[in-house]
Amino acid sequence: MEGHQRNLYLYDRFNARVVGVSRDDVTTLKYWGNSLGVTFPLLSNITAFVGAYFDIQPEGKPIFGRRTVVIDKKGIIRYVRDGSPDFKDILLFLKKLNQEGGKP
Amino acid sequence: MKRKGLTILCLMLVVTWLSGCATPETSKKVPYRMSPQGMVIWEDEFEFSPPPPDWKLLRVEAGENDVTFGFMRPDPGGFPSVTTFAYDEDPFGCTAASFEGREREFFKRFLFNAILQFQILERKKVRVVGGEGLAVIVEGKDPVKKEKVRAKVVFGKRGDRIVGFYITQWRPMEGSYDPSAFEVFDKFVASFKFLKKSFYETL
Repeated sequence: MEGHQRNLYLYDRFNARVVGVSRDDVTTLKYWGNSLGVTFPLLSNITAFVGAYFDIQPEGKPIFGRRTVVIDKKGIIRYVRDGSPDFKDILLFLKKLNQEGGKP
Repeated sequence: MKRKGLTILCLMLVVTWLSGCATPETSKKVPYRMSPQGMVIWEDEFEFSPPPPDWKLLRVEAGENDVTFGFMRPDPGGFPSVTTFAYDEDPFGCTAASFEGREREFFKRFLFNAILQFQILERKKVRVVGGEGLAVIVEGKDPVKKEKVRAKVVFGKRGDRIVGFYITQWRPMEGSYDPSAFEVFDKFVASFKFLKKSFYETL
């Protein structure tokens, strides 16, 4: 999360916005986000439908798998990576996406 | 008003923080070479004066893209007598954009597992890597384990982003610090140069 926070100015440059989604409740996310200095939205999805939609809900577990997804302005999923975010890869992809889409 | 939100980056969090931990470095290639002038050229990206041969190279962390490396030297005396210093492109994962903010975050987490009682001994503005920086010296003590540590951190900037240099010297409570190690660290920091723009500056 902190890596994304540090990159916000670059996401802004590429017309991208970042949100985090977790199964934690709102109160937990609020304190967690504040403790890390995160200023972008952290969404609470305790019912896990987002996890099911993105296929990152392990059966029988109360958590999501870790996945980075980039959705373009048309709502099309353009990038999916599991595990810890590869920030440089994400930035390069967003730069390319921004360039190929013109000035979105 | 600037158009915003046209691309959305969604992140799925894992509640188990283990996935964010650093993974062991598996690179087989030596990441440095020596210049004819005796300077270390690190991945053609940094240049610095190497410490004396009794300092062992450490690749402290290579996770999540940013570079961290340093040197370690076991010191005479009982446990935990050791000195470590490092260059860190992502100092302790903090997010503050100012040196003062980064300092607060840094010490909130720095050696937090050790649960030390910290005292700031010195804080001053410095010149580092060709720009303004902030140097802070602290001492931490653990009266239960009867251990202490003296640490110095130097924050500087590479492009828009804050980078850090830090040294820690651990001692048993009755042990004495070795100032020569801090001189090695200061020489390392003073000699440090960026040979090219960072990835972030080229975007």
